[in-house]
This record gives sequence, C-alpha cells and structure tokens, in this order.
Amino acid sequence: MTANQRWSHGALMVFRRNFLAWVKYYKSSILLNFGEPLTNLLALGFGLGAYVATMAGVPFVDFIGPGLLAVTAMNAVTFDMTFEAYDRLNENGIYQAMITAPLTVPQIVAGEYLWEAFRSLLYGSVFLFVLLLLGLVHSWWALLVPLPLVVTGIMFSGPALLVAARARNHEQLFYYFTLVITPMFMFSGVFFPIARLPLLVRDIIILTPLFHVVNVVRALVLGHLYGGLLWDVAWIIGYVALFSWLPIRTLKRRLTG
Amino acid sequence: MAQVIEAEHLVKRYGDFEAVHGIDFSVSEGACFGLLGPNGAGKSTTIRMICCLAEVSSGRLTVLGHEAHPGNLTIKRQLGVVSQEDYLDPSLTVRENVELHGRFYGMGYREAKSRAQELLVFLQLEEKGSEQVRSLSGGMRRRAVIARALMGRPRLLILDEPTTGLDPQARILVWRKIRELKQEGVTILLTTHYMDEAQRLADDLVVIDHGTILERGTPGDLINRVVGTECLEIAECDPGYGQSLVDSIQLLQVVSDWQGDSLMLFSSDMDPVIARLQEEKLLPTQYYRRRASLEDVFLRLTGRDLRE
Repeated sequence: MTANQRWSHGALMVFRRNFLAWVKYYKSSILLNFGEPLTNLLALGFGLGAYVATMAGVPFVDFIGPGLLAVTAMNAVTFDMTFEAYDRLNENGIYQAMITAPLTVPQIVAGEYLWEAFRSLLYGSVFLFVLLLLGLVHSWWALLVPLPLVVTGIMFSGPALLVAARARNHEQLFYYFTLVITPMFMFSGVFFPIARLPLLVRDIIILTPLFHVVNVVRALVLGHLYGGLLWDVAWIIGYVALFSWLPIRTLKRRLTG
Repeated sequence: MAQVIEAEHLVKRYGDFEAVHGIDFSVSEGACFGLLGPNGAGKSTTIRMICCLAEVSSGRLTVLGHEAHPGNLTIKRQLGVVSQEDYLDPSLTVRENVELHGRFYGMGYREAKSRAQELLVFLQLEEKGSEQVRSLSGGMRRRAVIARALMGRPRLLILDEPTTGLDPQARILVWRKIRELKQEGVTILLTTHYMDEAQRLADDLVVIDHGTILERGTPGDLINRVVGTECLEIAECDPGYGQSLVDSIQLLQVVSDWQGDSLMLFSSDMDPVIARLQEEKLLPTQYYRRRASLEDVFLRLTGRDLRE
C-alpha cells in the first residue's frame, strides 16, 4: 500500500480542506477580519488619542496598536473556530465525513489548530504591516511578532472548539463572545494598563490569556523588553498545554457516541 | 467463502434503551447484502457499529477480519461509506470533495487526482467536476457521494439508502453502477426503503425490526417462504366481504394480508384459489393477479403501522 498513513498526514489534510475552502473567499475574509480592529485603531487611537495624549508613557495610539493586533488574532481564530466549526459539526457534516474516512478526532483537532495558527499569523501579520505603514512600529523586535501569533492561534482554538462542540445552536455561541471574548477585549490591557484597577480585578485579568499576549506583542512592537515577559510567555505556553485537550472528549462523544 | 462481516449476539445500548438486541448475521465476500427494516428498526445503529463509529455494547462484531470499535483505522481504511446524509463539503467543488477524501485515506496528490478523475468519469460527473456542490441536483449529489466513497478502493462498500429522493432515471443509473462494482468483486452492504431496489440488488438479506432479525434469506427464498410466489390483490375491499373470501379458502395454502384497504391473498399455487372463489361466486369482478414481491414480505413481517 502506497498510502501515507502517518499521523501528521491526516492533520495536514484537515488543514488543506480549510485552505481550499478559504481561498474561495479570502478577499472578503481579510477585509472582514480587518475592518473592525482598523476602525478601532483609527477612531480610538487618533480620535480619542487626540484627548488622551499618552498612556503608560507612550502616545495612546502607539499603546493600543499592538493590543489591537493581539485582539485581531484572537478574533480571527475565535470566530472561525466557533461559528465555522459549529457548522462543520452540525450543519454540513464535514467532521462526520472526516471521521468516516480514516481520520481520528485528535487528527481533526490538530488540523484545526494548525489552520487557526495560520489564520492568526496571517491576519495578525497584515495588521502589523498596517501599524508599520502608520509609523506605529518602533523596533526591529517586531519581526518576532509572528511567533506569539502562531502560539496565540493555537491557544484560542481549544476553548472555542469546545464551545462549538457543546453549543446546541448559534445563539449559544454568542454567549461565549458576550461573556468571555468581549470582557477580555475590554479589560486585558488593550486600551489601558491594569495597574490602577482594584487588586481582585487585576488578579482576574492576569488569569486571562489575552492579557499575556498583549504584553508580549506590545513589548515587541514598541521595543520595550523586560524580564517579566518570560512570565507572560510561560502563562501562554501553560494555557496552550491546558486548553488544547479541551475539545477532544466532547468531539469524540459527538462523533462516535 | 470468507466472511467480510460477522455479527454474533450483537447488542447496542444507549443508556436504558437497547437499539439492537443481540443480532446474528454474516456477509460473505463479494455479496450484496441487504439490511432492511422500517425507520427505527436498528439499521443505522448496526451500520454505525460496522463503520467503527459506535462502540459495540456486547456481543462480537468482526469486519474484514478485525474487531470493530471506534478508532479501528485498519477497518476504516478498507471501507467506503455512502451515508444517508450527503455530507458533501459545500465550500468545495465536486472534484475537490472527491480528491480530498482520497487524501484522507492517505493518498498522495497525484494519485488522488487521477483516481478522482477516473471515478468522476465512472459516475458520469466529469463535466460537473469544477462546480460547487450546492449547484448539483439530488441525483448528482448521490453520485458524487458514491465517487467519494470509492476513492479509497474499498473492499467493503456501505450504501445507506443510496437512492432515497432520486428520480427513476437517477436510480437506474445508480443501480447500474452498483452492479458494476459488484462484478469487480466489491462486497456491498445495502440498506434501503425501496423493496424493489433490494430485490434487484441484494443476493442475501435480513429484515430487522425493533432491534431483532425477523427473517433472512435470498429475496426469492423469502418471498416463497413468507408469502408465496403469487398475489391476488383486491383493491378497496369491504372488510366483511374480505373476511368471507378468506373464510372460503381457509383450507388452501393461502396467506392473507391487509395493506390499507386492499386485501392481498398470497399463494404459491394460485389457480385452485381462483377456482374455489369462482365456485363460491365470491371472485370479485376486478382483481389484480401478480407475482408477490419483497415489499409484500416486508409489510407482512413489519406490519402496516406508520413508524414516524
């Protein structure tokens, strides 16, 4: 048998499926994933920034630019891994077709993570390029931003895929955005440093994954590197290890129950 | 001959509900085996276990010589599955759907490309290759699913209601393709609600209901055994009159059955039955004498109540 039965081949073919689907609408997809953070950047950065001159010692727009980059990556992954994965499981049977062919749930999940890492990298990098054009990139360290983008893509995939696998309808997916993603977006240090918040609130924010991504990306884009970043990196790696397993059991139950 | 599927006391439970109660059957290599039964009979559950998509609760199930359980890739690699739902990827073209499925089976790019081309030609879909799946008619979708299922060169092909919803022309084309596959030596497991389809295609079949096997045999054998070769069909028959008919011939070898308001009299020796009815002046002016079919067997075995 000439067939390639390596484990990674199956995962790569799941990636390939998403890629083949994506190339058919990539223009509108880039625009959609891009319009909102860019609007935020222009309106808040330059509009609000005209009144709030500096934040934590840097111009306001320079402060929120890298934060919005991290948010772009998070949203690109989360939208895809909730709504699209929900449809793949419940509407068009794409996972069912995969599991009927000789693919396993861990291969499907790994393929999805790989795909989301790609999306995070792509949409985050395009945003980084816009920051560069606007003169908001201040350091050669920014060249390393793709690294946290890849890891971030994987990190946000696990919980989103779990939500998609457990949701009974599209409405339940919105809960995840309202209760988890939007509060993270508002409070994880994208728009203001958390230093002056009450201690309890700060402790909660430190537990959110986005907070650490924002710290790392901001440090690289502004060139303000410091030892504490290693903690952020450790948190991110820890979350990847913790979250990646989340959807496997539920998906197994849904597909081979 | 080698057995491709062997089920012994096969049981599937979901919580307290037992969907399959200890069934036994076997499918020999190269055969087309029919699994028939009304909705909710346990067919789909049985198929899910054979496809390694559901755990066997108890009993034994071997497929292609291996113990079936979820995650048994050795079995899955040798299966082709045409599921009831199409599960075609609406974001991809027909050709991409078929090619990608081959790659799920581990094929390389070139191999998948040429095999997909071969199958699109075989299923007369070549011209539709670059179209999006959603623009296809029902018949084309089914053919695309069959092409997809054949990508991995399966030894066992599962056809779960392959022609449901198709027009007669499309059904005839699908039947022809199924026969060609059989000639190539592919073993086929078929479920269908169309008894004429089972009668045409299946070499051997079981009728299941409520999770147990009611009858098994070849289509001809089942017809002979359960009802008899011929049928006298009396449409819009008054129940009282029907009863008197049945009473008058009770000494002859006749099986009677109501299908709706039609009375069916089955026998392998119909001439004496008609003669007797004429003697008794009970033969209606309008009746229809025909060969008994598998549909008669099915209705006789599973009853006439609606299931859903």
